[in-house]
Amino acid sequence: MSTSPVISVQALRKSYADLEAVKGIDFEVSAGEVFGILGPNGAGKTTTVEILEGLRPRTGGNAMVLGFDPERQKQQLKDRIGVCLQATNLPAKIRTHEAIDLFGSFYSRSLTSEQLLKRLQLWDKRDSFYETLSGGQKQRLAIALGLVNDPQLLFLDEPTTGLDPQIRLEIHGLIEELKSEKRTVVLTTHYIEEAERLCDRVAIMDEGRIVAMGSPRELQQKSRGQSRIQIVCEQPLNAIQLPQWPEAMDSKLEPDGRSLTVYSNRPARTLFEIMRWLDQQGIQLEDVHLKRPTLEDVFVELTGKKLRD
Amino acid sequence: MKSYLALITTDLKLAARLRVVIFFNYLFPLMIFFIFGSVFGARKSVDSIIYVLTMSITLGILGNGFFGAGIRAVQEREMNILRRYKVTPISPAPLLVASMVTGWVIFMPYIILVFILAHTLYHMPWPAHFGQLLFFISLGLITFRSLGLVIASVANNMQEAGILVQLCYFPMLFLSGATVPSEVFPHFVRVISEFIPATYLVNGVREIMMKGQQLPVESIVALVIAAIVGLILSMKLFRWEKEEKIRTSAKLWILAVLLPFLVLGAWEIHKGQDKPPVSTFGR
Repeated sequence: MSTSPVISVQALRKSYADLEAVKGIDFEVSAGEVFGILGPNGAGKTTTVEILEGLRPRTGGNAMVLGFDPERQKQQLKDRIGVCLQATNLPAKIRTHEAIDLFGSFYSRSLTSEQLLKRLQLWDKRDSFYETLSGGQKQRLAIALGLVNDPQLLFLDEPTTGLDPQIRLEIHGLIEELKSEKRTVVLTTHYIEEAERLCDRVAIMDEGRIVAMGSPRELQQKSRGQSRIQIVCEQPLNAIQLPQWPEAMDSKLEPDGRSLTVYSNRPARTLFEIMRWLDQQGIQLEDVHLKRPTLEDVFVELTGKKLRD
Repeated sequence: MKSYLALITTDLKLAARLRVVIFFNYLFPLMIFFIFGSVFGARKSVDSIIYVLTMSITLGILGNGFFGAGIRAVQEREMNILRRYKVTPISPAPLLVASMVTGWVIFMPYIILVFILAHTLYHMPWPAHFGQLLFFISLGLITFRSLGLVIASVANNMQEAGILVQLCYFPMLFLSGATVPSEVFPHFVRVISEFIPATYLVNGVREIMMKGQQLPVESIVALVIAAIVGLILSMKLFRWEKEEKIRTSAKLWILAVLLPFLVLGAWEIHKGQDKPPVSTFGR
């Protein structure tokens, strides 16, 4: 790719007294990409993005964001990026439109509160005090504040943590919109499904290091974990000798005789062969499921721990 | 400039929506004014109403500075409100200036109101140098808000801020002559009183009102220096996040704001001019 990366990080380190939170990480983020940083609490995700946002000095290494050094050119950088912090608050008695107008005044360019409130579906709440908003509305307002300077690069630090599933889906929809507008998004999360659904590429962090990086699909393919093919037939298979399907590692027939589970490294190939065999045998198929290894499987495999540890 | 204006406008709106701000800036000093006006028989003597008026103004300024500026700034940090500002391109300057201006704009109507009440209800003659008086009171307000902001900058949490505020607030309340008449102080307390910033505020207001004197130059110099030192320090020591702790020794910076008054107190004592402060009750 000829275009220079929006974010470029080399050997980045950060220490707090005797704790080394980030232990020398490297990555690049291209324009228009949704880049996820996935990891459990304490993995160093927030420290990494806060260094890139110009909020914390680094202990070592290099970082460039939109061509600015986040430590030395903080003001210029902050004017160009959007940030949605993990734990933040606004005064209880500020109205939503006032908050957007106030934050808009801090930037050299800004969108109007009407544009943003309509876009974030908060127009009906434009005169509501911050303290009266629901959790989801507060988060939408936080994203609106992150977009107030119409940034091309947006940092979203665990934007859905603590929200109920329905609101999480709404926020996912918003992030997909940002993606379709070709904005670059850096998203930290410890929700696997969020990273799988939204991110073009994911860096998995653990104990201050990037332990794997790539598209969710690449990471899944790198996993030793096998896909699971599950079929349910209309008649029992007990009396039939099951063949050894290509690439299948193992198979298991459930006690009912109708449900068969096959583990495979190349599920598409194996599934095709199973279908062909069923057809040859004249066995009617009732249901079929294919489950690929998830990022969670990859994470557990790489770190030996669960994401929500 | 637009960030300054937007912050001032927002701060004013927020202040007007908070009952606690209305209570401490208007109702509480008014209650003090009427209660002590009655206790000291302020209707019968001009000096008494001036005494009560000064007490009410000083209480208002101290409350506005220590609680309105100081404690509020710590609360905003503790509640992660300042953290949100940290990711924007603004520096602490517009936040601190907006705090100053808002405190002043909220307090001035009270000052005008209390003078009108003293004039109409207690027959206090309208001060000859009212403009100078307003200037002096405004300067006092800015100085004590600066001190409040420095306390906010060196306190790591609400508990520490509470202790530091009380350590400054109570001596200023009781040893400045604002509440307890200074002529009842024993000599050593009167010496201590010379080192307390609020003493210069109380004496300055009384001198302008009772003696019709011009602005007290030494007090003004001390207040201006303290205000400037306080603002510079609160900018330098400003912290956006509660996780950013400051070392314990940083609390000594409070002394830097108090230094002009320590020098002035030493000078007054050296000159032998620690005569009884301006008051009615000793005469």
